Amino acid sequence: MTPDTAPRKEEPTEPNRADIDPQDEQAPVDPALFEEKPAAPPFERTVLTTPLHLVTSLESRTNRWTDWNGYTVPEVLTGLEDEYRALRGAAALMDVSPLVKYRIAGRDALAFLQRLVTRDIENLGVHRAVHVVLCESRGLVLGDGLLFRLGDDEYRLVTEETHLAWLMDSTEGFRVRIEDVSATLGTLSLQGPLSAFVLMHAGIGDIASLAPSAARWVTIAGMPVYLSRTGASGDLGYELWSDAEDAPHVWRWLVECGGPLGLRAAGFSLRELARLEAGLPRAGTDYLSAFAAIDARDALPPAAIWASPVIDLDKGVFNGRVALRRRADEPPARRIVSLAIEGLEPLRFSALSLEGRIVGTATSTGFSPALGTNIAIAVIDSEVAAAGALLAAAERRDGLSVRETLASVRVLAGPARSHPRRLAVPAPLRP
Amino acid sequence: MVTGGTKYDAIVIGAGHNGLVAAARLARTHGRVLVLEAGDRIGGAAATSEIVPDYRAPAVAHLLEGFPRRIERELKLARHGLRYAARDVPTVALDRDGAHIALPRNRREYAAFSKRLPKDAEAYRERVALLRAQADIIAPLLGELPPRRDDPNVLKRFLRRAVLRAEWQGRSALRKLMHTLPESIGDRLDAEFESQLLKGVLAFDATLGGGEGPYAPGTSFRAVWREAIRMQGQGVRQPLGGMGALADALAAAVEAQRGEIRLGARAVRILVENDAVAGVELSDGAVLYAPLVVSALNPRVTMLGLLGAARLETEAALELRYAAPAGSTAKINLALETTPVFSGLAPDLHGARLVVAPSLHELDEAATECRNGGFASEPVMEILVPSLADASLAPEGHHILSIIVHNVPFEVEGGWEAKRETFVQKVVRTVDAYAPGTADAMIAGEILTPPDIERKYGLAGGDWHQGDLRLDRLFGFRPSPAFGRYETPARGLYLCGAGSHPGGGITGLPGWLAVEAIGAAKGGE
Repeated sequence: MTPDTAPRKEEPTEPNRADIDPQDEQAPVDPALFEEKPAAPPFERTVLTTPLHLVTSLESRTNRWTDWNGYTVPEVLTGLEDEYRALRGAAALMDVSPLVKYRIAGRDALAFLQRLVTRDIENLGVHRAVHVVLCESRGLVLGDGLLFRLGDDEYRLVTEETHLAWLMDSTEGFRVRIEDVSATLGTLSLQGPLSAFVLMHAGIGDIASLAPSAARWVTIAGMPVYLSRTGASGDLGYELWSDAEDAPHVWRWLVECGGPLGLRAAGFSLRELARLEAGLPRAGTDYLSAFAAIDARDALPPAAIWASPVIDLDKGVFNGRVALRRRADEPPARRIVSLAIEGLEPLRFSALSLEGRIVGTATSTGFSPALGTNIAIAVIDSEVAAAGALLAAAERRDGLSVRETLASVRVLAGPARSHPRRLAVPAPLRP
Repeated sequence: MVTGGTKYDAIVIGAGHNGLVAAARLARTHGRVLVLEAGDRIGGAAATSEIVPDYRAPAVAHLLEGFPRRIERELKLARHGLRYAARDVPTVALDRDGAHIALPRNRREYAAFSKRLPKDAEAYRERVALLRAQADIIAPLLGELPPRRDDPNVLKRFLRRAVLRAEWQGRSALRKLMHTLPESIGDRLDAEFESQLLKGVLAFDATLGGGEGPYAPGTSFRAVWREAIRMQGQGVRQPLGGMGALADALAAAVEAQRGEIRLGARAVRILVENDAVAGVELSDGAVLYAPLVVSALNPRVTMLGLLGAARLETEAALELRYAAPAGSTAKINLALETTPVFSGLAPDLHGARLVVAPSLHELDEAATECRNGGFASEPVMEILVPSLADASLAPEGHHILSIIVHNVPFEVEGGWEAKRETFVQKVVRTVDAYAPGTADAMIAGEILTPPDIERKYGLAGGDWHQGDLRLDRLFGFRPSPAFGRYETPARGLYLCGAGSHPGGGITGLPGWLAVEAIGAAKGGE
């Protein structure tokens, strides 16, 4: 029902403000002030739009949209190659509002988080962020995310999937408040070698001094924005967290300031390609939450997903500690790796085989224009990770015809692409 | 505030009978043991209370059913003053018209029984034989540590032993047991017996202490369980001087090993350093240090309250969060100025367990009432006149009635304050129907509703068993899988109350086995 078709209600006339005597204690009280408004039933809407939907729709030249966590986001705005060139050569601006954001606050917020995540966050400073991993009691991963410390007793946990039930179950015994603030925040991701330069042009002073994983409050065109040097591109990049109402204006201002410098707005496909190049596994795609894994083999311990996950077994009780300590020396049976398939044309593949036996699955695939190869993130049996000679059953498409071939696969030691600029201090303003 | 703190080798929280058994056994092997009791007397639910001066009654429980001989002997309880006023106390089902049924204990009594119930006698003999045979299968498992849950082979051996024992009894034994596990006692009895009264008393024994009615699935197994618990002990006995005499003997056994019992000392926090237990903090701020803390309190209170959910992993804390015990049993003690006479009951049977459970239908009604927050107009109950066998409890010629009322809700509709008097009257009227003149002879009385039992005797939820005796809450699942072997995630902290295997009733086994688990953990290190 749009506002035009909604039945028009007679607005009760407001009493004239001049008539109100603030000193009069006997004045009649309007009972309507204390009436509880019926809350909208949860999950009434399952298709949501982000606070940036209007501005991204205006940018869209393709009308290609996709679903991310229930939100409608642009898949591609102009063209993937064009957007990719901007990301790796100048800067790309993306709407990442569908990320799940929890505000965790209260006297025991630190203790609560210490019990929740595997790494020791005792020394996490205010306005700093760290990557954290959540495990359950068998030491299997539930999800990962970025944890910001906003104040002494206030944190923000940003994850790919929802974990509210698990967080609420974990609150017993802690004086802590958990809020899902996903819908109240608009989040923009500005990534690329010129991203610091763009922010400087947008009027942010001393942007170069912001260290990786650090954050600060800034004012962009008069709007308060929480700016953090984070992102999933493996390159220099920033994320901007603002009120949902302000987010479209922040977006417009950045496009206006950055456009002449080469800034392009980009869609979800570019974000996926960037994180694939950076070798960052995504929850729900490259690995499954231990509670969602129906096949027990799909639930993985942290060591299988990240090359060197931070697990502090000596920090005190945390979820999964007993199990992680027990299997500390035991290598995981399967692990997540980055792969490359040489060849200058995009391929479709998923099953990976060794001597005719299927030993793994490519869970995210894509063609990296910069490297000129097909790359993938895959989960494979640990013992074959070093063996080499892996083959992928690939599909080659030519018009309407398709050919199936076996392409040889190279297991990469690290991410397909990573630039030292990501961690450089001060942040380079010129490429 | 005392800061210094004293050092002990072990601290036991709660001087209930399980806490005392654990303390007495610990004191023999673990050096200086301290027992902390929040109340002003020991014994927990195993206590003797004074209704009015000179009239003493077993406060909560009144008979020992499954107290193992080996605990009694190893702790030398006889030397510490434990005597029995009555051994092998019989059970009688009271009939409204005076045609009572005494459940036979031997061949002679069976002859009388079969004269009274010619049609059901043979079925009863078969039922007792089957019950004993089935209890035989699980009884040995009750007297030992439950299997480790992280080792599938141990569990396999554990089950295999049960299966083997069943197979020794013949091919059909296992099939019958598999049939018994999920079955309701009401259906079973309806199929086997005719006498409503006999069915009533058998179902009463199977459901006592639980919230379910006789037609609830799993109650048939509870009868087997109860029989197996009885097999741990030496027949139904009545301690001389009330149930408090058992606690006194246990306390003497603790003190004989130079253990210390401190009354009025409420533990408020279990201290942990480097994942291991360091000691206990009391409500007055005093800190007592010990590398070993054994809690006889409810597992939920111990782990979520004293230790704190924050020191557990989320899933372990969740397991306990919803396992709140809820009692469904009330206790009424009456002081009489005459000798109660139950009409139609032989004089030598007046000291028996007298069960008022006229039929399955009435038991079922009572359970339904209880679930809806009320109580039956004619409550089902178990009556004992302990002063007949034990003259020390009341002045000469005067007597005590100790009544356990089944199917009484923890929260009654309208509140216990308003309903207490009605409830007592209903119970007294029912007793008066069987023993005319009781109401007039009453000079004093004491009533313990489930909330009273929680407040006065420290049983969380007023639950005698500290958690339902259901198949999913027994062995290594008691109180929950993460705490199934008395040990807890905090090194040196153990559970030893009725909330742990093998469960409620005055058996001392949870306390006894907890110390065994402590020894096993030490040996394993």
